[in-house]
Amino acid sequence: MGEKTDVWQGTLALMVLRTLQAMGPLHGYGIARRIEQISGGELSLNYGTLYPALLKLEQEGFVASAWGLSENNRRAKFYRLTRAGRRQVVRESGEWRKTTAIVARFLEAGEGTS
Amino acid sequence: MRRLRALLARLAGSFGGPRRERELAEELESHIRMDVEDGMRSGLGEEAARRRAVQRLGGVEPTKEAWRDRRGLPWIGELRQDLRYAARTLRRSPGFTLVTVLTLALGIGGATAIFTIVHGVLLARLPYGDADRLVAVWEENADRPGRSNVVAPANFIRWRERQGVFSEMTALYDWRVSLTGRERPVELVAQFVTSNFFTTLGVTPALGRGFLPGEGPDGNDNFVVLGYGTWQRLFGADPSIVGKTVVLSGKPSVVVGVAPRDFGFYLKAGSLVGKPPDVWLPFSFSAKAREPRGRHLTTFARLKDGVSLGQARSQMRGIAASLTAELPRFDTGWTVKLVPIREEISGEMAPALRVLSGAVAFVLLIVCVNVANLLLARGTARRQEMAIRTALGAGRSRVVRQLLTESLLLSLLGGAAGFWLARGGVALLVAISPVDATILSRVRLSVPVALFAILVSVVTAVVCGLTPAFEGTRGALADSLKEGLRSAGGGTRARRLRQALVVAEVALAAVLLVGAGLMLRSLARVTSVNPGFDAKGILTARVTLHGKQYDEDERSLAFFREAVARARAIPGVRAAGFVSFLPFAGSGAATDFAVVGEPQPAPGQEPVTDVRVCDDGYFRLMRIPLIEGRLFADRELRVRSNVVVVSEAFARKAFPKGDAIGRSVVIQMSDQPVPTRIVGIVGDVHHESLTSETRPMAYWPHPQLVYSFMTLLVATDGDPALLAAGLERAVQQVDRDQPVSEIRPMESWIADSLARSRFSSTLLAVFAALALVLAAIGIYGVMSYVVGQRRSEIGIRLALGATGDSVVRMVVGGGARLVAAGVVIGVPIALALSRTLSSLLFETSASDPATIAAAVAALGAVAVAASWVPAWRASRVAPVEALRGS
Repeated sequence: MGEKTDVWQGTLALMVLRTLQAMGPLHGYGIARRIEQISGGELSLNYGTLYPALLKLEQEGFVASAWGLSENNRRAKFYRLTRAGRRQVVRESGEWRKTTAIVARFLEAGEGTS
Repeated sequence: MRRLRALLARLAGSFGGPRRERELAEELESHIRMDVEDGMRSGLGEEAARRRAVQRLGGVEPTKEAWRDRRGLPWIGELRQDLRYAARTLRRSPGFTLVTVLTLALGIGGATAIFTIVHGVLLARLPYGDADRLVAVWEENADRPGRSNVVAPANFIRWRERQGVFSEMTALYDWRVSLTGRERPVELVAQFVTSNFFTTLGVTPALGRGFLPGEGPDGNDNFVVLGYGTWQRLFGADPSIVGKTVVLSGKPSVVVGVAPRDFGFYLKAGSLVGKPPDVWLPFSFSAKAREPRGRHLTTFARLKDGVSLGQARSQMRGIAASLTAELPRFDTGWTVKLVPIREEISGEMAPALRVLSGAVAFVLLIVCVNVANLLLARGTARRQEMAIRTALGAGRSRVVRQLLTESLLLSLLGGAAGFWLARGGVALLVAISPVDATILSRVRLSVPVALFAILVSVVTAVVCGLTPAFEGTRGALADSLKEGLRSAGGGTRARRLRQALVVAEVALAAVLLVGAGLMLRSLARVTSVNPGFDAKGILTARVTLHGKQYDEDERSLAFFREAVARARAIPGVRAAGFVSFLPFAGSGAATDFAVVGEPQPAPGQEPVTDVRVCDDGYFRLMRIPLIEGRLFADRELRVRSNVVVVSEAFARKAFPKGDAIGRSVVIQMSDQPVPTRIVGIVGDVHHESLTSETRPMAYWPHPQLVYSFMTLLVATDGDPALLAAGLERAVQQVDRDQPVSEIRPMESWIADSLARSRFSSTLLAVFAALALVLAAIGIYGVMSYVVGQRRSEIGIRLALGATGDSVVRMVVGGGARLVAAGVVIGVPIALALSRTLSSLLFETSASDPATIAAAVAALGAVAVAASWVPAWRASRVAPVEALRGS
C-alpha cells in the first residue's frame, strides 16, 4: 500500500513540478486542471490529493508558496518553483525517461516472444 | 539533506496548528470557488457546480486529513496525546504527584546547590595565571606543628638569595591606611607587597600597570594599585584614574593601576587585619631587615618549570636547617612549610564541604529510594489498570510508552522545581556561607551538576515507573486480573522489594542523623565555652591614627585617653575602654618573654606570651575578672611605669609556685626590652576562637608600648548598636580626620567566629531532618500498602475476635521491624563514616553514644508515628466489608 502511494506520489510530484516549470506560478486548482488537460482526461485525479503533494514539495524546499490574486481577482495561494525545484525537474525528468525507456524495452521484448 | 529538511519542516509543522489549519481551509475554499465558477461558466447551476467541485476534490474533510498526516510527524501527535493523558492522570492523584515532585525537587535542588558551592570553592579557577604552580611559604614552629606561621623578613631575604626552585618569591603584609582629601576619611585595607607581586601571580592589571622593580617607600614617589571594587566604589570607576594622585595615610600617592575585576589575594593565616585588601602598595626591604627580628610576612612563590612541590619542599627545608645553625637564637625550632595556594585558599572550608557533599549525596540517594518506593506503590495499584488495557488490545509497547511518558513528566516536573530550588539554594548558601567572599562571588549555578542530579532522578523514576508495565503486561493476563480483584497473597516480590527499600532508606537516614547529631552536639559544646569575658551590651570600633602628628607618642596617648573620656560621656554608656587587638577579631602580637631572676632557657625554648595594650576600663567593661593584685593605676596610664597585668595562664606557666605578684618579666617587644613588674592577675580570655586554647597573655598600659591604633569599646545596658553614631562622633570630636571603622557589637565578632561550624551543622541538620521526613513518607507508604493488601486477613482476625489494639500493635510492629533492620545496618555505617567528621568536632567523640541513642530514638519515634495512621485505619476495618473484598 505504502509503496504504491510512493510511486503515485513520485509521479504526481513530477507532474506538479513540470506543470509549474511550464506555466510559472500557479494555484492548486490551476495545477490540477492543467494535469488533467495534459493527460487528456485519461488520468482521473482527485484534486484533493494534490495538496499533501504540494505540502511535501514545500517541506522539501522544491516549491514555495505565497498568497496572491487569481485571473478572476480571487485570493488564492500560488505555488512557484524554487531554484532547487528547477534542478529537481531536470534530474527527475531524466530519471523518469530512463525508467520508462527500460520498461518500454521490456514490454517490446515481451511482445516479441509471446 | 532534503529528507532532513523535510523532517525539520514536519517537526515544526507538529506545532502551531490553528494558524496553518485556517490557511488550509482558506486555500481549499478558494479552490472550490474557482471550480464552481468554471462549472457555472460551462452552464451548470451553482448547486450542481458546487457538488461537482467537492466531488472532484475528493471531499473537503478527507483532503484536510491527508494534508494533516503530511504536515506533522505522527509520533509527535501520539506523544502529545500521551502527555495530555499523563497530565490528567497525575492531576487525578494530586497527593502522590505533589509528594513525588517535592521529593525529587528537594533532592535535586539540594544536591545541585551543595555541589555548586563545593565546585566553586574546591575546583574554581583561581584568578591567577597558572595558579597550580603557586605555593604559599610559611614558617612552622616545632611547638605548634602543622600551624602556618608568618615569616621573618630576615629569613625571607635569605631564602630568596639561596633557593633555586622558585622563579619568583613575593612577600607581603597587610595593614590599614586612611584615604583622606575627601568629604569623610575612609579606612582601607592595604597589602604592602614586594614589587614582583603581580608578575608572580601572573596577573595584568585591568588599567595601567603593576609595580616596577625598585618601587617602594624609599623612592621619591608613592605608588598605589587600586582594587577593582575600590575603584568602582570610591572613585566612580573613573576611566582616567591612572596617573592621578590620592592621599593615603597623609601621603600623596600616584595611582599606577587598577586590579582586574575578579582579582583578590587573601591568605587568612597570614593576615593581621583579617580582611581582604582594598589597595596594594609597594614595599622593599631596608638594610636593617636582614637583622633577625619579629615575624610578620605572608610569602608565596611560583615553582620553576619542572620543579615538583616535593623538590621545592626538601630544598627549602634544607635552607631552613642551615639558617637554624646560623641564627640559633632566632631560628631554633623553626622550619619552613609549603602549601599550594589552592589548598591555602579553600583549605579551611574543605573538610566541612566534603562532609556536606557526602550528606547531600545521601539525601539524593534517599530521594531516589523514596521515589522508587512511591512509584512502585502506585504501580502495584495500577497493575489491574494495565492488565485491563492489555486485555482491551493495547500493545505492550504502547502501554510502556504511556507509563514512560508519565514517569518522564513526573521527573521533569521534579527536575524543574529542583533546578529552581537550587538557584535559590545557591544564593542562600552564598549569603550565609562563612567562606571568604573573593571565592564565592564567582560561584554560578553549576548546570552540569544540575543536569546530573536531574538525570539520576529521571533514571530512577523511569526505571521504577516502568515496573507496572512489565508486571502488568507480562504473560499471565488472567492472573493479574484475578490477583488485582482479590488483592491478597501474591505481590510478595513487590512487597519484599519495597520493604528492602524502606530498610535502605532508614539506614541512610540513620547515617545522616548520627552525623548531624554529632555536629550539633559539638556546636552546643562550643557555644557553651566561656570566652572569659562578657560580650553583652558592648560595641567596638576600630580607630587607626593616620598623619605625621601622631608619630609623637604623647599625641597618640592623649588621643585615645580623650576619645575614651568622650565615649564615656555618651548618654547610656556605662563604661568605656580600649585594647590593641580585640579578641575574635583576627590575630595579635605575641613574643618571647623571660622571668627576671630565673636561669635563661635554651634558644628556641623561651616561653611565648600574647601581648595586648589596653587601659583599665577594658577589663571592667569586658568583665574580665581580677584574680589577684590590682589593675592599672591612673598614673600608670599616663606615664611609662614598667608595670604589667598578666593572665592566669601566664602566671601558671611562668610562676608554678604562685608567686607572680611583684615579680618582674622581660617581654621582648622592642629592641631594648625592660623588665616590667606584675601588679595583677586577671582571668583567661579566648582570643582566637572559643575552640582555641587560652594562651599566656600580658597586658600593658598604653604608655608602655605606644600604638597608633586601638579598638575602642563602650558598654551599655541597652542595645549597643544604637551607640554607633555617638561613638563615631566622640572620636571625630577629638580629631575629625581620623576614620572610624568596623563599628560592631562584640557579640557579632563571636558569632562570626562560630559561623563556619554553625553553617555546616545547620546544613547537616537540615539534611538529616529531610532524610527523616523522607523516611517517614517511605514507611507510611509501605505500611499503608501492606495494610491495604492484608485488609481481608485483618477483617478475618477482627471477625474472629482480635481487638483493634492488637491490630494496631501488629501493624506498628511491622513498621518497627523495618526501622530496626535499617538501624542495625545504618549505625555501623554511621560509625565508620563519622570518623571523617572528627576534624570538625569539638570535645565530642565521633562515636558519642548519647548522640547515637538520640538518632535511633528519633527514627523509632518516626517509625511509630508513620505506621500509626495505617494501623489505626486497619483497626477500624469493618470485618464484613473487608471480607466482601474490594
